[in-house]
Amino acid sequence: MRKVRSATARRLASRPSTGLIALAAWLVLASPAAAGDAETFIRETAHRVFAAYSDPITDEGREEVFRDVLSNTFELKTIARFTLGRYWRAASADQREEYLRLFEDFLVLAYANRFRDLRGVKLRMAGLRIINERDSLVQSEVGADGTRPPIRIGWRVRQTGKGLRIIDVIVDGISMSVTQRDQFAAAIRAAGGKVEGLLAMLREKTGTPE
Amino acid sequence: MVVLLCAGVVGPLGCATAPQTEDPESLAAFERANDPLEPFNRAVFAVNIAADRFILKPVAYVYKEAVPVPVRDMVSNFLHNLRSPVILLNALLQGDVEHAGTTALRFSVNSTLGFAGIVDLAGEFGIVRRNEDFGQTLAVWGVGEGLYLMLPLLGPSNARDAVGRVADYFSDPLTYLRYEKFGYSRFGANIIDVRARNYDLLNDVERASVDFYAAVRSLYGQNRRDAIANGAEAELPPLPEIPGEEDDFEDEEGQERDRPPTR
Repeated sequence: MRKVRSATARRLASRPSTGLIALAAWLVLASPAAAGDAETFIRETAHRVFAAYSDPITDEGREEVFRDVLSNTFELKTIARFTLGRYWRAASADQREEYLRLFEDFLVLAYANRFRDLRGVKLRMAGLRIINERDSLVQSEVGADGTRPPIRIGWRVRQTGKGLRIIDVIVDGISMSVTQRDQFAAAIRAAGGKVEGLLAMLREKTGTPE
Repeated sequence: MVVLLCAGVVGPLGCATAPQTEDPESLAAFERANDPLEPFNRAVFAVNIAADRFILKPVAYVYKEAVPVPVRDMVSNFLHNLRSPVILLNALLQGDVEHAGTTALRFSVNSTLGFAGIVDLAGEFGIVRRNEDFGQTLAVWGVGEGLYLMLPLLGPSNARDAVGRVADYFSDPLTYLRYEKFGYSRFGANIIDVRARNYDLLNDVERASVDFYAAVRSLYGQNRRDAIANGAEAELPPLPEIPGEEDDFEDEEGQERDRPPTR
């Protein structure tokens, strides 16, 4: 599909006037529809997670639910690549593949059991921002008691070939992707710029044999 | 200034040096971390962690387990209310008259009807708290964060926020109370209150990090930027340029694109 689009883009480039009109029409027509979908997508995803996490559930159960949500609603490859930064290019095909696997396990370890009980917790939709033709930021709030400001959760959603996928979660201004990128960069730098150093740490953290 | 610090203060630990490379991404990462004193900061961090493990964390744990939530909330409310003069001053210095008014209103309501601040009555009516400090004021005035600093016992900071802390101390009328035990008690109570409130969070962050120091540094920077923007940034965050999939694999693994993601 993307190949088609880039081919179209090339064709349009040779005929600027039609191209601009088509592009403008596409932006105007495509964005609002995608935007509404993005909110629905997040509401439904959150609903599923909250429902699962409201039942009495073991740590393993939560991990299973979380892993399922990760692989079906997150664009993990994009996130993984972003968090590895320039080291992605330096990594071999084997290293990339192992990194993708370890990254997913690491996210499950890091986040699956962070919220143990979501009974009675409500996610309120708080607006939407169009970032570009493919990305939008769905804003939401969680807050049970009234005296403290609610926790703000932003979901960066991208239109991909497989449909809508989450590419970042921003909690009170703290981006999951940025946090991982920063600490991974530090870990790789500490290992003398070797991706293998990070892989070893991720293996150890997730208890994965080499 | 940095060179002087590196040579004179940090001494044998030396300073982190910029990567000897033309690679712009590597340099960008180095600049993003903004941490030329990294070896020194990591040493302080190690001491802080040890102090936390053996003293602060156990104390916070006992406090958290022994004292019920409503009482701990009262302690938090009381301590927060004491910060009101500093918040008010900084709201004014930032030209935020609305928040200054909110803070004044909160302070008068909570100090009286809220029993000296232990009940956040104003909060119950939707006049919600928000912290301000001189570090944030400096940022609003356009002062950059300066280099990253790990302060002994006080935790992550930066040059600007460290100056802010000193200014907050001296601009706080409660600093000038004659009864000096009050200052120490308040300082100690604040530390235990903050540590207990973030008990689970810190455990989670440590468990979820391959480099705890770097994770804390990243979280501190993001958290401060959010505080400076009063949360507005969450609506317009400096979203990272996440490369799209099409430019990911186009060159060397174009054929891989339509495959389901590796899992």
